[in-house]
Amino acid sequence: MEKYNNRADLIAAMTEDLTPVRRVKRSDGIALIAFTTVVAAVASIAVFEWWSGLLTGEASGYFLITHGLLLILGAASTASLVSGALPRVGARATAPMWGAAMLATLPIGAVLSLLSGHESHASSGLNDPVAFMCTTASLSAGALVGIASVLWLRRGAPVSIERSGWLTGLAAGSLGTLAYGITCPLDTFSHVGLWHVAPVAISAVIGRLVVPPLIRW
Amino acid sequence: MVADEPTFARLMAATQNGDKAAGNVLLSEAGVWLERYFRRRVPPHQIDDLVQEVLIAFYTKRGTWDPARPFLPWLAAIARYRWVDHLRKVYKHDSQELMDDDAAQDSEEEVVLARVSLDRLFGQLPEKQAEVIEMVKIGGLSIREAAEKTGQSESLVKVNIHRGLKKMATLVEKAE
Repeated sequence: MEKYNNRADLIAAMTEDLTPVRRVKRSDGIALIAFTTVVAAVASIAVFEWWSGLLTGEASGYFLITHGLLLILGAASTASLVSGALPRVGARATAPMWGAAMLATLPIGAVLSLLSGHESHASSGLNDPVAFMCTTASLSAGALVGIASVLWLRRGAPVSIERSGWLTGLAAGSLGTLAYGITCPLDTFSHVGLWHVAPVAISAVIGRLVVPPLIRW
Repeated sequence: MVADEPTFARLMAATQNGDKAAGNVLLSEAGVWLERYFRRRVPPHQIDDLVQEVLIAFYTKRGTWDPARPFLPWLAAIARYRWVDHLRKVYKHDSQELMDDDAAQDSEEEVVLARVSLDRLFGQLPEKQAEVIEMVKIGGLSIREAAEKTGQSESLVKVNIHRGLKKMATLVEKAE
């Protein structure tokens, strides 16, 4: 909109053009990100096939805990991200930070486990042959969630741009890894603790660097 | 007299539904409220531009107000966002000084209040950063002159200005 010399002229022009506006609702943002996560999961299943061990009880406790934490972190960061698109002042939710801290205990535990020599599975630790595939597939699934988040933020009016960047990265990383994770049959602690958590950290950094210029308004 | 929260909220709900009369009153009242908001935050000669910028942002993003939530915190959040953006722009361009000559024509009290707010921000910066920002961006000295006065190298002056301004913008952004 052009700048006016006089504020009254600006107000008159805006009043003249005033039309009913569709409200930006939190529920719309949550539904959009949840739907995109489901799409990412369906796409992952189409490409990598569903791992039936999830339902037959074959999946290890580590696998279930890791993906449960990813779900919690995804939900917490989505809730904060969606709220962040609506301007407000006041206390900010710290749930994503605590969720990320909880998830961070897994790679620490995985490294300690590897150092203690208890893990002898072929796909363990840094020599994991599928580490690259799990990381890239999770990041690809997360990219879908990230795009949906950016579209939502652009519809809204985020006033903490850098925080929105971090949250987008956390939501995309955790939900993308969750969406891909249900197709991964490797359920050792060192595998899920390292390679199903690393995409979250990578995605958070990418989100912080890439998202702010896209959502500035 | 500036409208109160319930009046603002009622006018905003009507404005979201396309009521032009309510929109006109709301924008005018919001303009007055914003003028007060910025009085302690920017030098007087920059207030009107900033108020216009916020009114445009307010108009463009009017769909983001939730009628279940109070109106003024919503407006304040937009105003603060624009203020941070404005600070970045002002500090980025050497030609735009915080205290132009015409500031002297405004009331002394307002000038002092604008400085008080800036001084509080300066108080939270390392001394070397605050010192060179004040010399170059407010006092109008060149980088070389500031380097000579402070004994810092020219590159260090530039780095300190850059880091200090970035920290100031972050401090403003984080302030609740």
